[in-house]
Amino acid sequence: MLEIQNVHKQYLKTPALNGVSFTVSPGQVVGLLGLNGAGKTTLLKVIAGLLLPDQGSVHLDGMPPRKQRGRIVYLPEQNPWPEQASPARVAALLTGADPTFDRGRYRELLSFLEVPDRPFGQMSRGQRARANLALTLARRVSLYLLDEPLAGIDLISRDRILKALVREWREDATLILSTHEVGEAEGLFERAVFLKKGRVVLDTSVEALREQGKSVVETFKEVLA
Amino acid sequence: MGLRLHIHPEAGPIFEQIVAGVKAAIARGELRPGDKLPSARALAEELRVNPNTVIRAFAELEREGITETRRGLGTFVREDVDRAALRRELLAAAARRYLEAARSLGLNPEEAAAVLREVETDAGDPKRA
Repeated sequence: MLEIQNVHKQYLKTPALNGVSFTVSPGQVVGLLGLNGAGKTTLLKVIAGLLLPDQGSVHLDGMPPRKQRGRIVYLPEQNPWPEQASPARVAALLTGADPTFDRGRYRELLSFLEVPDRPFGQMSRGQRARANLALTLARRVSLYLLDEPLAGIDLISRDRILKALVREWREDATLILSTHEVGEAEGLFERAVFLKKGRVVLDTSVEALREQGKSVVETFKEVLA
Repeated sequence: MGLRLHIHPEAGPIFEQIVAGVKAAIARGELRPGDKLPSARALAEELRVNPNTVIRAFAELEREGITETRRGLGTFVREDVDRAALRRELLAAAARRYLEAARSLGLNPEEAAAVLREVETDAGDPKRA
């Protein structure tokens, strides 16, 4: 169980998060939706324990993220690896150093996601995104935080990534995926949390939304415009 | 496997669309009594939807007596599935949409039925229509 309570975060004078609260149960796939600058990345970093909130708290199974490092993985929007590094080199680095890293699973993911074995600097954006997703999902953890995994990459890569996410979904793991391009990913979400100017403006079951005759895309426009 | 589903997230709950899609496949004879459905996981992957949504759809199909789960083997279309009833259900839904269209144009059901017969005569070979 992930509990986010009244989280505030401010950069210099600009508030990024303004009292965000919600809880997520294991197995849930949550879409964190909002326009650029809504606070999605800041929130994911606070949940990952990479940033401390100014106020409020985050708990994963009763403990703050910094005490749960081995149970959380965060995929940043930008490629975090040096240009010269290749997926195989990174794997060699992580094996042993990161006990959550499952090398066999990584190999399967690389082949499923069709990641070429060459340095990150020589990959297309889509290839880099797929390589980073493989590295993220190859970790056996409880909480996966993906920041804009579909942004700015080609259609085929996006589709492969979505398929890999469904494939790798486990009943005991929680997945929070931020995006400002809702369309293709919406079938994956069980729940959508809409963030606007650092506040949760809507938190809803996605199927319940559809029962009211609304799609996530429509709601996105309605709520965030 | 004769199950081809198309999901439109803007067209209502996805689990209902899966239920309707399986029923339609049975009504059209693409899925027959005793046929095995893909696993929830495989179908979720193919449709790029949350596996829980497919699991919920399968539970609903079972509740309605359309499918059954054979332990360790998977989900199957029941041998006693009432295909005629499913066909009627589907056709009735299409008829309601047709009537609605007719009404919105100011035609009564008799006039609508007359148009239906006319179209059928015109079409002759149903494959051409």
